[in-house]
Order: sequence, then structure tokens, then C-alpha cells
Amino acid sequence: MADKKLPLEGIRVADFSWVSAGPRGTRVLGNFGAEVIKIESAGRLDLNRGRPPFMPGNRGVNATALFNNVNCDKLGITLNLRHPKGRELAKKLCAISDIVIDNFNPGVMKKMGLGYDDLIKIKPDIIVISMPVMGETGPRASYGGYGMGIEAISGLKYISGYPGKMPLGTGIAYPDSGPNPRHAMVAVMAALHYRNKTGKGQFIELAQYESTVCFTGTALLEYTANNKIQGPWGGRLPNAAPHGTYRCKGDDEWCVIAVFTDDEWKAFKKAIDNPSWANDKKFATLADRKKNEDELDRLVNAWTLPKGAREVMELLQNAGVGAGVIQTGRDLLDNDQQLIQRHYVKVEHPEGGPQTVDGVRIKLSATPGRIQRPAPLLGEHNEYVFKKLLGIPDEEFDMLLVDQVLY
Amino acid sequence: MPEKDTPAFNSFSADKPAALQDIRVLDLTTEMGVYCTKLLADLGADVIRVESPKGNPARSLGPYYHDESDPQRSLFHFHFNTNKRSITLNLENPDAREVLKKLVKSAEVLVESFPVGYMAKLGLDYDSLKKLNPGLIYCSISGFGQEGPYSKYKAPDIVGVAMGGLMYLGGYPDEAPFYPGAFQGYHLASVDAAIGILIALYHRDLTGEGQHVDMSMEESVCEAIEMGMVLWDVRKVVRKRTGRRVFRDWNEVFPCEDGYVMCSPFGGAGWQKIFEWVDSEGKAADLKEPIYQQALKVMAWGQMDVAALPPDIDKELLTKNPQLVTHIEEVWQQFLMTHTREELFKNCQERDVRLMPIYDSKDIYEDPQMVERNFFVDVKHPELNATIKYPGGPYRFKDTPWRIKSRAPLIGEHNPELYEKELGMSKDEIAILKKSGGI
Repeated sequence: MADKKLPLEGIRVADFSWVSAGPRGTRVLGNFGAEVIKIESAGRLDLNRGRPPFMPGNRGVNATALFNNVNCDKLGITLNLRHPKGRELAKKLCAISDIVIDNFNPGVMKKMGLGYDDLIKIKPDIIVISMPVMGETGPRASYGGYGMGIEAISGLKYISGYPGKMPLGTGIAYPDSGPNPRHAMVAVMAALHYRNKTGKGQFIELAQYESTVCFTGTALLEYTANNKIQGPWGGRLPNAAPHGTYRCKGDDEWCVIAVFTDDEWKAFKKAIDNPSWANDKKFATLADRKKNEDELDRLVNAWTLPKGAREVMELLQNAGVGAGVIQTGRDLLDNDQQLIQRHYVKVEHPEGGPQTVDGVRIKLSATPGRIQRPAPLLGEHNEYVFKKLLGIPDEEFDMLLVDQVLY
Repeated sequence: MPEKDTPAFNSFSADKPAALQDIRVLDLTTEMGVYCTKLLADLGADVIRVESPKGNPARSLGPYYHDESDPQRSLFHFHFNTNKRSITLNLENPDAREVLKKLVKSAEVLVESFPVGYMAKLGLDYDSLKKLNPGLIYCSISGFGQEGPYSKYKAPDIVGVAMGGLMYLGGYPDEAPFYPGAFQGYHLASVDAAIGILIALYHRDLTGEGQHVDMSMEESVCEAIEMGMVLWDVRKVVRKRTGRRVFRDWNEVFPCEDGYVMCSPFGGAGWQKIFEWVDSEGKAADLKEPIYQQALKVMAWGQMDVAALPPDIDKELLTKNPQLVTHIEEVWQQFLMTHTREELFKNCQERDVRLMPIYDSKDIYEDPQMVERNFFVDVKHPELNATIKYPGGPYRFKDTPWRIKSRAPLIGEHNPELYEKELGMSKDEIAILKKSGGI
């Protein structure tokens, strides 16, 4: 099993992307066997190399836990793209790659002679994906951005939260770990299929703003078709009640409960031992429950309050009612048997030491992906990439180090 | 109107090929997986939505066109089913299942998001269908995956985002966590399923071999939580929701003159420039005093760059004197109230300061960036006598453009062309199937 061929073996990715939106995408390609070469520079470190949490007792650039989770299954090289020789080598690397990816501001790759128009001359079937924040065109093309800001401008924050409260959104740089790296990989894989069929590569632009907007569901259509602006969703849905978050026993413990159908309502009532309030006429139908939802939620909450969140989940799920724990990072790793069995993987990083990383979330039966190697040390694979892949002789390689080209 | 000078990849022109135009997808998804098949359809795949004769239950999800509740007018259905065809088949009926099996032979991909075990009960699970079509890529999207202790659990979106660890991170510390809008769990699981299908397709292109893609919403969500898991793993710290101010950074939602902005003016290198700007409008108040200047430096340092803090400044300044931060934020807040989102956005960009406006759907629709890039596209709905503007795609392909060629289908709209023309079923056969409740 361990040495079974991976489906993307033979695909090489020149990965200029950094921080999160790009790297979280190329990690998936690496998990499935693509040779992802992460191009870094000591003069412009991937921000995640400097960002806590650090591994215990080590604050070095090779020991940051977030970086080391996001960059499993990649090779790492250092290349100073400010140096003309560095750009020349980058171009050579692109010439032997299938996919080139960046998430710089528009025009940066072009300025370095690494734009799509430059690259098709040396590799006619290259697939290039560029991930600018606002897009390569338009009056705001030059605007920079960051994950939490993209969540703000994309409309996602506005619809996330409770009416009358500030629109806080997910509380994290969600576009960087949710929509954008994933949409990018849909695009890359679709382009690879097209290349398989036609022999042609192409250029793909993924504006992170637009990509995140695509995670707002019907919000835009409701405006264009009905002239209505979707506000914060709160915890409720029009076709369910009870539906939302309920406090449980313990410090900051919460569960969610979702009752859609009449059958689920009956099952819910039975699971909570048919208290007399639950059989009150004012909760009989969905319409009744929607009308009296504030009261219903108070009563449901009174039922959850003395119980543990996991106890609520198991009790209701076993009765056929949707329910779950609002899990913390600790719950995910220590208490969630499903994820413990299916998802997490322990790796030993040469500098960071033992760490639990995300496994391969996409499960393929015939050609499963797997975590093959921990994240690269800075410049760890310079010798392999420059000497073996690009055929640079030893003396020249040493000079490139001295001249701070491989830096 | 003169043609705008836009790059080739901005064109949605119909004469270009599509990346997935040779792929047929049978779409048996509920609301959980429907975005997966939209992604494939908008890249040109022939997606056939197999609905129950009453229509897929997701058609009963609002909002509705002009607020008239009707399964043919669900905006949820409109949005997520562009470019698809629709046939009706009652999968509970054995004759109808035979029709589906015929279609399976002609398809590259099947996607379903029924409760785990339902397809097996009908004899339509992967192991049964691969015998008919060994190249079939069969994708199952479920709450927790096809196997494991939670696999039979019900998993509407809210359960997925709660269990995956996303929900806990958003909201105020002393209140219930936020439920993010627009079904983030469904979106994440759907996009990941599409990636899985396309990786399987790549393998199929080379070998002809099909396979089963097993996508769990919980697993999809749990990789979209930034450092939620990592922080517990290496530091044994639970990342909590922190209200307006994002965990650890000086990154906050602030009201301004006409709405809200998300910004981190005092984190990183931007604070000096932002201070100069505030000062140039005479609104810096007492922030010019040395103690506040020092506090600003510590705030900037707090982000990550340890080395940048001069040795004479006390690193603990802010923890010892939290009122300094409170006051700095008050001055900044007063300044923000004198400017609109657009003024702040533009001025902060010029100063390389991290600030972005919080937009609602109207703001996005009117954003000159979206207008000039023709993000919204016209889609005709002849039955409604209307052309509706739809949001564009998440990416732009230069040679095989993303595009919407047709609106979402009516219930069973393509029964005649699929049953009669393509499968060659006679009118009698169809009538019998109809009578027995099959289609």
C-alpha cells in the first residue's frame, strides 16, 4: 500500500504562491503525488514561517506549526527572484513544470519575465494559474488584500452573524483556507483534463475576491432578481425549527440542533422525553414553531443546559435528529473519533519534531492520496532541484550560493 | 457601446471549447452536493440532474423569485443548477432504476449526497454500478464520510460547520458562536468533491480506471479553520472566538461613516503611515505624545516581527497599561467615523495599510471592479419573461471559459430528449413507466 503509485505522479508544479491561499491548494496536489516545488527566499520568507505557534523550544523558520501543516508533501528551494540569475533559473524551472502558480499582485510575474506570455514560449502546454486579490484588470486591479479583508469585501461577513450585531464573519482568514485554495485546484485539475484531451495548456486567473463571492450562495441572486439585500443569517433557517446553537453544561460548551421535518420533530420530542411544553399546540407544525421560535429556543436551551454537548449530540443523533457539538480545536484532536480515525496524521518534522497534521481529506478508493513527507526546511531541496533537475554543475551551484542567487 | 479593452479571459464567448465538455455527470445530489455539480456544469460538463417526479427537495429552498413560493421559482435552485439538464426518475421504483443504470453506462461521473446506505439499499452503490461501467467515477458526499462511528449521523450544514471546528471561532466570547451564512459546509464539501472527481478523472484519462470518491463535509470543514487544530496540537491552547478583534492580531471590525470596515492599521508596518494620515487631518489628538508613540510601536511589533522593536521600549507596555490601547482605538474610531468605506479603502491602499470594506450584495453588484470585469452575466428565463443577472464564476480560463449557457432546468424538462431520443425508449415504454410512478 505504502508505495502504491499516486495519481498525479509525473506532474510537476512550480509553486510561487505563499502564505495560505495558494499553498493550501498545492498541498492537495502534493498529497496525490505531484512534485510540488515551493519557491521561497530567505529575503522574503513565507509569512507563515514567522508566524506563531512555534514548536516548543524552537522559534526558527523551520519550526512554525502552521507552515509545517500547510506545506506537507512539497519540496522547498530558495531562489532570489530579485537577482537576474534567480529569475533565469525560475524560468528554467517553469520550462520543466506542468503547472505554475502564484498569488502575487497583478503584474509581478510578468515583470520578472515569468508571465504566461513568456512561459508559453518555453513550454507551450504550460498551465498557469495566477491568484491576484482583485483580478488582473479593472480599476482596483492593483489593490492588495488579505484573508480577513477578502471575507469582508466578498459579502461573506455581512451575511454571517446575528441581526443587530456587528458583522464579524467567521473570525478567521477563512477565504485563505476555505474557498480560494480549493477553487484554484478545481481550475488546475479541469485544465489538466483539457490538456490530456487536447495537448493544450492555458492561463487561468482566479481573483480571490470573485472566488470568495462564489461562496455567498443566493445572496447576489436575491439582490439582482428581487432587489433584496440578504442580512445576517443568525442561527435560523426558514425551513427548520428548532435550528441553532444551544448552550450546554461546562465552560463555553455549545451544541447545534437542527429539526426540519415533522418526523424529526416527533423524534426530537421523544428523545427529550416528551415534556408537556413540547406537545403544546403552538409548536405542533413547522409554521407554529417558526411563529413561536423565540420561546421554543428558550425551552430547548433549558433542556440542553444541564447536559454535555456530546451527550446531546449522541442522544439526538441516535434518535434520528441532526445535532452536533460546536467543536474546539481540542475536540477535533482529542474527542472526535470520526476525525481521529479518518483524518489526522502524525508526522516527524526534522526540526519541528512530532506534529499532528491534516491528512488527506479527499478520499479516493483506487488511487488514495497520502502524506508522504513533512514540510520542507528552507532550501532543503536546492541540490535536488538545481543539480539534478536543472543539471547545474557543482561549482556553478556553489557560486550561486555565494552570489546569493540560491538565497 | 464600444467594446472595452478586456483581456481574452474576460470573454464568455460561446464559440470557445469548454474544459469538461466531453464529460457526462449524473447529478443525484441534495443541497449538500449541488455546488459540486454546478462547478462541473459551468466548466462545460453535461450534467443531468436526476430528480424525483415532484422535483428535487432542494427546489423547496428559498428565497424565491419575486418571493412567490414555487418549486419552479426557487432562487436556490436557479443559482446552483445552471447549465444542467433535468430528468425525473423515482429511484424507489425498480423500473426507474433500470433507466438510471442505462444512463450510468453513458456517464463518466455520478455524484450523490444521500444519507449513507441509501444508495446501497437501492442497489445503486458504487460496487453495483462499477460492474456496468468500470470507468465510472462515483462520488459520495456526506456529513461524515461513508464509514466510521459518525457516518450515519444526520448532517445539515450547521452540524458540519459546528463539528468541523469552524463555528466555534466566530462571534463574541460571552455569546453563542456565529453560524456563518450561505451554507459554508455544503460549499466546502462540494468544492472538495469536485477536486476529488477531477483527480480521479485525470487517473481515468491515463488508465481508463474509475473509482469511488468519498467526501466528508466535516473533514472538509476541519481544514478550513486556519490554526484552530494546530494551536491545540503544539501549544495546548484552544483558539477562542474573540469578538470584534481577531485572535492575537490588531485586526478588527470597526464602524465608519457609512458602514463597517475590517482593518489592521496598527499591526505591521502601516501604523506610522496611518498615524501621519490621521495627524494630517488634525485628528491625532494626544497620540503624538511619546507614551502613545511607544504603544503604537509595541502594537506593530506584536504581530510577528520581534527584531523590529527597539530595545528601549518595554514589551509589556500594553499588558501593563491596557488603557493605552483603548484610547488609541477610540481616536482611530473617531477618525473612521469621519470617512466613508470607499475613502478609507482607497487611502489605505495608497498607504499599504490593511483595510477592506464590509460589502453587502448591493455593494458588490455596484463595485466598479465587478462592473468593469463584467462579473455578472445575463441569464434568460423565458418562462418568467425575464433576464436575470447571475454572479460569475470563481475563476476565468483563457481558452476554455467558465460560462452559463442555460438557466437551471424545469422539473423533468429534458425527459423527452433523454428518454426518447437518447435512450430510444418508445412512447409505450415511457407511458408504462409513468403509470407505475417511475418517471
